[in-house]
Amino acid sequence: MTAQEVRLCGLLLREHFGEVVEKVGRHLIRSGAQNLRTLLHETGISIDLVKKSLCVLVQHGVCVFSSGRKGPGSPTEYRTSCDRILRILRYPRYIYTAKTLYGDTGELIIEELLQRGDMTMSSTVKTVADRLTQNMEEGRSMDYSEVSSAFSKLVETHFLQRCPPMAAAATKNGAASATPATPATPGTPAAPVSTTLPTPESFPDCYRVPHVTLIGKGKRRLSNEDGEDQRSAKRAKIDSETHGDEGIYWQVNFERFHLHFRDQAIISAVANKLDQTSSEIVRTMLRMSEVTTSPTATCTKPLSANEIFRSLPSSYNIARPILDQYLTLLVDDPMEFVGKAGESGGGMYVVNLHRALANLARATLESVVQERFGSRSARIFRLLLRKRHLEQKQVEDFAMIPAKEAKDMLYTLLSQNLVQLQEIPKTPDYAPSRTFYLYTVNQLPTARMLLQNCYKTVANLIERRLFESKESKRLLEKSQRIEAILASLQASGAEPEQLTEVEEMITAPEKQQLESLRLHINKLDSAENQVDETIFLLESYINSTVTS
Amino acid sequence: MSEGPHLLNQNFNCVCVCVCVCVRIKELCQQFPHGITDQVIQNDMPHLEPQQRAMAINKLLSLGQLDLLRNSSGLLYRMKDIQSTSKMKGSDNQEKLVYQIIEDAGNKGIWSRDIRFKSNLPLTEINKILKSLESKKLIKAVKSVAASKKKVYMLYNLQPDRSVTGGAWYSDQDFESEFVEVLNQQCFKFLQSKAEAARDSKQSPMVQRNSSFATSHEVWKYICELGISKVDLSMDDIETILNTLIYDGKVEMTVIAAKEGTVGSVDGQMKLYRGVNPVIQPTGLVRTPCGLCPVTHTHTHTHTHTHTHCVRGCPCLTSCFLSSGV
Repeated sequence: MTAQEVRLCGLLLREHFGEVVEKVGRHLIRSGAQNLRTLLHETGISIDLVKKSLCVLVQHGVCVFSSGRKGPGSPTEYRTSCDRILRILRYPRYIYTAKTLYGDTGELIIEELLQRGDMTMSSTVKTVADRLTQNMEEGRSMDYSEVSSAFSKLVETHFLQRCPPMAAAATKNGAASATPATPATPGTPAAPVSTTLPTPESFPDCYRVPHVTLIGKGKRRLSNEDGEDQRSAKRAKIDSETHGDEGIYWQVNFERFHLHFRDQAIISAVANKLDQTSSEIVRTMLRMSEVTTSPTATCTKPLSANEIFRSLPSSYNIARPILDQYLTLLVDDPMEFVGKAGESGGGMYVVNLHRALANLARATLESVVQERFGSRSARIFRLLLRKRHLEQKQVEDFAMIPAKEAKDMLYTLLSQNLVQLQEIPKTPDYAPSRTFYLYTVNQLPTARMLLQNCYKTVANLIERRLFESKESKRLLEKSQRIEAILASLQASGAEPEQLTEVEEMITAPEKQQLESLRLHINKLDSAENQVDETIFLLESYINSTVTS
Repeated sequence: MSEGPHLLNQNFNCVCVCVCVCVRIKELCQQFPHGITDQVIQNDMPHLEPQQRAMAINKLLSLGQLDLLRNSSGLLYRMKDIQSTSKMKGSDNQEKLVYQIIEDAGNKGIWSRDIRFKSNLPLTEINKILKSLESKKLIKAVKSVAASKKKVYMLYNLQPDRSVTGGAWYSDQDFESEFVEVLNQQCFKFLQSKAEAARDSKQSPMVQRNSSFATSHEVWKYICELGISKVDLSMDDIETILNTLIYDGKVEMTVIAAKEGTVGSVDGQMKLYRGVNPVIQPTGLVRTPCGLCPVTHTHTHTHTHTHTHCVRGCPCLTSCFLSSGV
């Protein structure tokens, strides 16, 4: 965790949970695992507030607790991780993806779960149905069964997962190892002691185990509910019955979303590079291997051309020989999105997931250099990526850039750490006249550095947004008040003159100011989301190099 | 009395033989421009005595018509350039020596300091000689692109080597970057239009891909016919330009085997180029001002500062980004 990450995490925590939680969270990030006593002592916040903050963090899966490292009986320690906090940044994207895949219902389910950290299925379904009903026309309402079927679809596709049962984990492990973000399975006694959080990847079965048993339970309970109050979903608000799924909490499976994002990135890259049809073929291949391929695999399981042909949606109208041609083209492409694994079954093909990520990350680096330093610097950068090590003279010759300019660009790139310099002395004294100076680009460290830049950028954007809204706090409050008054007046059936009178309480320049504020905030928000896409790509690339 | 004409005859005979031998040796030298050995002369004129042979060779050497060279197998005689011998008339030995050194350097040229090392003459002397040779139009000075102040000398009638002039991309030691840029754009246009035509042809994907390729020969021909270049560009020149397009990420290259003698094939290989689309749009980071900010690493955002932009966040995010359009 770097200073940039800590700063960004702090800002995210402050935005979503307030300043006290931010202080506790920041402290936990900086000092690692700590027990309540030291936390109290070092933050100087009252015990009540610290406890509440910890509750909030645990509820959202940001913080985990485990028994102390000093052996049995030592005080419980709390830990948090930057990675999990940084997910908050991606919430809009998760919600948007759920909307595109499963419509408004999916969107609301994911939104509710993200906002509350974890919920039972019954309460989620109820809340979502209520919200949907409220937005519908008078007299119509949302069926619980519809929402619950959307919910189970989300579970089936692993977008939702069960939180690990706390009590079970505690008794089985002998230690209170409840990691809501990572469903702990029994038999991992090392997890609570180790300083790093266990990642969901370390439990390949965790997406399967919880939802199979739960779907049955949830459905049974919910069908029972449906019978009870079908007429109005609103009535469910006051309904305080038990639904049988108490204690089974659900959370959003971020890793599954990330796999989806990764697949989307690969598909859109293929569409950009080749054409729409090739991207549809890759989409089909990825969809077929969604279940069979483990999240950390370097490439998908081999698929035969016959299988791919059968799975292609019939609407594409791709004939078999054409499909073969497309597959050959995909294999031949220098980006190597698709590889050939064998000849059986009309040719076995795989999608090179990690290589695709590396290529995409490389394209991202190139794009950053291109936009920041111009296309000629980008030419030098690509040249170095291709040829590995080059002397200055060679760079000038290959890139066909005049010596003076090339030198300038190389040194700028070098000073920004995008290009590295390797000295190779002919004699041990490192005399400049007898030394080779080779320029090179190291993709992985450069990607890491850019990732830090991204964190910094997002933090800057958030800070700016907070500043903007703070500047016009008074104005915002005023407009809210007036809106409230207008609403209440309208409800009581006031005359139009009265309404306009109230409306005019906001002057024209004030209105203008509000409008520009809205514009600014929107712009900053969308910029945050765009940078997050870069962050996602770089993070996945860096993670893929760790596992492969 | 009777001996007189005989003696005279013998003497005359001797001179006559010598001239004959000289002519014959010259003929032989012309036949073998790389030089002949003693053995060759001996085989050609078996009746000749070694003394006579030596005399003839000495005479030719003194006239400056023959060069004496040494190689691994012994001595080698070679004809001297008629032109140079005639040009070098009236020059002293030092001048001849310097001329020789410059001649050896060929079309790569030689630096005056290197002439000094090779000839062991003082620099002032060399400068004098160089000047006089230059005025006689026997040699010329050429500025090298590698170091603008360094002059190299070579024979007057030689075409300087590419390493000296920098090839087609230099005019008077200046790199013609605009010319390179124009060629770069034209090559890309050509490949792009070819790729677009292939895409619009609505043929099977394989045919589409294959027809989007252009050989370097085709690109070369297109550029030649376009007539944008005053200098003659070679295929290699065009390939260097195409390589810059590869480094720009706009073009891909593949090498295929070609039948010997096919147009545009080199050593049984043919380079194929085609324009390609970028894999990703400009990434999100660079669409925000912070991604482009030239001073990223110097921004500190400590809250203790009372500076306005520390409170406001990054200074790049001020009105310029926020107030521009939607």
